[in-house]
Amino acid sequence: MFDSNQTSTAISRTGISRRRFAQGMAATPFALGAAAKGFRATRAQDKVKLVLLTHWGTQEQKEPLDAILAEYTAANPNVEIEHQTVAFDELLNRISTGQLGGDAPDIYHFYNLWLPDFAASELLSTPPEDVNADITASYAEGTVGGASFNGQAWGYPTEVNDYQLIYNKTMFQEAGIEAPPSTFAELREHAKALTKGSGDNLTQAGIMFLQGWDSGVVHPWTSLLWSNGGQYVADDYSAALFNEQPGIDTLQLQADIISDGSAILSLLEDADFESGRAAMTIMANWWGATLRASDLGIENVGVAPIPHGDGGTSTAVQYEWLWGVSNVSQNAEAAWAFLKWLNGPRDGAADASSPMGDFLTSALNAIPGRTSDQAAHTDVLGDPFVKPFVDAFASARSEPIIPGAQEIKTALQTQIESVWFGQKDAAEALNQAAEEANRILKEKMGS
Amino acid sequence: MGAMTATDRAIVRPGREHTRRRVNRRVLAGYGFVMPAVILLVFFALGPFLFTIWVSIHSWNMLTPVAEMPFEGLTNYRYLVNDDPLFRETFGNTIYFAVGNVGVSVVLALGVALILNGQVKLRAFWRAAFFMPYVTAPVAIAIVWRNILDSNWGMLNGLLDRVGLPQQPFLDSLEQAMPSVIGVAIWHGVGYYMIIFLAGLQAIPHDLYEAARLDGAGAWKLFWSITLPLLRPTLLFVIVVNTLASLQVFDLPFVLTDGGPVNETNTLVMYMYDTAFRFLRMGRATAMAVMLFAVIFVMTMIQLRLLREKE
Repeated sequence: MFDSNQTSTAISRTGISRRRFAQGMAATPFALGAAAKGFRATRAQDKVKLVLLTHWGTQEQKEPLDAILAEYTAANPNVEIEHQTVAFDELLNRISTGQLGGDAPDIYHFYNLWLPDFAASELLSTPPEDVNADITASYAEGTVGGASFNGQAWGYPTEVNDYQLIYNKTMFQEAGIEAPPSTFAELREHAKALTKGSGDNLTQAGIMFLQGWDSGVVHPWTSLLWSNGGQYVADDYSAALFNEQPGIDTLQLQADIISDGSAILSLLEDADFESGRAAMTIMANWWGATLRASDLGIENVGVAPIPHGDGGTSTAVQYEWLWGVSNVSQNAEAAWAFLKWLNGPRDGAADASSPMGDFLTSALNAIPGRTSDQAAHTDVLGDPFVKPFVDAFASARSEPIIPGAQEIKTALQTQIESVWFGQKDAAEALNQAAEEANRILKEKMGS
Repeated sequence: MGAMTATDRAIVRPGREHTRRRVNRRVLAGYGFVMPAVILLVFFALGPFLFTIWVSIHSWNMLTPVAEMPFEGLTNYRYLVNDDPLFRETFGNTIYFAVGNVGVSVVLALGVALILNGQVKLRAFWRAAFFMPYVTAPVAIAIVWRNILDSNWGMLNGLLDRVGLPQQPFLDSLEQAMPSVIGVAIWHGVGYYMIIFLAGLQAIPHDLYEAARLDGAGAWKLFWSITLPLLRPTLLFVIVVNTLASLQVFDLPFVLTDGGPVNETNTLVMYMYDTAFRFLRMGRATAMAVMLFAVIFVMTMIQLRLLREKE
C-alpha cells in the first residue's frame, strides 16, 4: 500500500521540498520522452528508416511491392523501409492525421486531384533537380501535367488511367453496325439502333451512363466536352468554362440520348454493361479487370476513341497517382534517392522497365506512366483491350488539377445528374455548377 | 498572514489536526475516485465539443497545424445559412427523413407492441422476428435492401411483376428514393421500439383495465384513457431517442444511395462528412455539427416540454 507518511519522510531525508518533488514527478514523462527521442535519433544516425504509405493493402498487391522494397534494402543496407497501407477511402484521412499528429510517413502514394491542397499546405517536399529533370524527360506531357501544380512537378507519376468508349461487339454485329461511333451524331444514332424495348420493358440500352459516383459521371462527360472543343477551366484557374456552348451541347447530347430512351442510368455495382444490358459506355482502363472476370468475355469487348463533336478531336481525360515525399520527413534525401531507383530503369539500361513498371503491370494490371515502362511492357500493354487506352495517352489531357477540384467535381456531378433526371435544362445546370465552381476557385485562390 | 512556525504547529491541538487530516484525506479520496470519470469526460466529450466550436470559427483543412488556422469568426455559419443551397437541401432531407421515420415507426411499433402484448399465437416467435432486424448491422441491411430495391434486378420488382403490378424505380427515382430509405429505416428500427413499448405496457397495472371494464369502457376508451396516458414516459423516450438517431442518420442512406439521385437522399451528416473528409473544409463541417447540435437540443427540449408528465 502507498504510504504518504513514508514518502514524506523519504523526501525530507533527501532534503527535497514537496513542491520540487511534485515538479520532478510531473517532468518525468517529458524527460523520458525526450530521452527516448534522443535514443531514436541516435539509432537513426546508424540506419535511415523510410515509412511508405500506400493504398495497396491486399495480399496480391502488397507482397510484390514488399519484394521490391526488400530488393532495395538488400542493395542499400543502411536503409530500412516500412510499408504502411490503408484502404483508399482512408488514405486522405491517414495522411492528414499523420501530418497533424507528427507521425507523417516519409513517402506518400496519392491521387493527383489532392495535389493543390497538398501543395498549398506545404505538405510535400519539392523534388531535387535531378528528379525533376528525370520526371520531365521520362513521361508524356499530359502525365507530367497531371503530377504538376503551379508549374511544379511534385513527384513521380505511377499508375495512369484514361477513358475510352467501350462497346459490346456482339450487340453491334446483331444491330448491323460495323464500326463504333466516332462523332456525337453517330453516338446518338448508334445508341438508338442498339436499344431494345422501352420503359419498364427495356431489355437492352444503347448506352450506359454511370450515376452516383463523381468520377463515373464527370470524367466521361469531360472527355466528351474536350472532344467537342470545350474547356473545363481557364488556364489561370480564374473561372470555370465548362458552361460555355460546347459544354451545353455536350450535356444536351446526353439529355437527348436519355430522352430517346436509348440510355440506362446505372450504378457501377449494377453491372449493367457486364451482364449485357447495355451496348456502350465510357469508362477507364482499370475496369478491364472487371470485364475479364465477367461472363461477357473480354474478347467480346471493343475499345474505341471518345466520339467527338463538330470541329473537335477525340480527347480522353486521364488521371494518375504519384509518389511524393513529405515536407517534414527527416530523410527526404534518402526518400528521393529511393524513389528515383524505384521509378528508374533497372541497371540504368534506358529500355529496361523500372521496378515500379514491373509492379504496376504484373500486380495491378495498370498502365505505367513512364514511357520507357510502356515500351518495355508491350506484351501486357499490347493486349487488344489495353492498347487503345495506351495509344490515347498521346492526345489525352489530365483531369484539371485545380484548387478545390474535388468539390467542383462533386458540384458538377450533381448538376449533370439533375439534367439526366429532367430537373433542369443543360444551360441552367451548367451555369449553376459554374457559379459554384467560381466561388470555390475564388476562395481557394484567395487563401 | 505569516507562515506557521514549527513551534506554532506543535501547539495546535492534536485532535483537531487529526480530524482535519482525516477530512482532507476523505476529500482527496473522493476526488481520486471521481477523477478517472472527469478525465474521460474532459478528454472524450467536453474537450472535443469545445474544440469543435473552436474549429467552427476558423478555416482549417486538417493538413496545416491547428495553431495556424486562420480565424474566420462567424463566416462559416453565415455561409451555411445564406449561401449554401446544399446545406438547406440536406437539412430539409434530414427533417423529411426524421418526420417520416419517427412518425411511422412510433405508430407501427406501438401497434405491434399492443398486438403482441395480448394473447397471440407464437408470441415469443413474433417478438423475436420483429426484433431481429435491429440486431443486424445497418450497413449489412443496407446492402441487402439495395439489392432488393434495385430497379432493374431487384427482388421486389420481380415480385411486383409476378402479381401483374408495374415495376418501380425505387432508389433510382427522385420521388421514391427517400421514402424507400425511410421504409428500410422503419423496418430496421421498429422491433427495438416495440420492445420498449412492450416493457412500458407490462408496467401498467392490470387492475386499472379491470376497473374500467367494469365501468363499461371499450377497447378504444381503455387505450385512450389508460394505456396512452400511462405510456407517456415510454412514448417520450421512444420519440426523443428516435428523433436523435434520425437527425444524425448516416449509414443507411450512405450505403443505400450515397445521397443520390441528385442529392435527394443526401442527409446533413453525410454532407458534413463530405465537407470534412472529401473537401477538407473542417471549419465549415464543424459549423454544421454545431448547428445540428443546436437543432437537436432545441427539438429535444420541445419534445420533453410537450410530453412530460403534468405536475
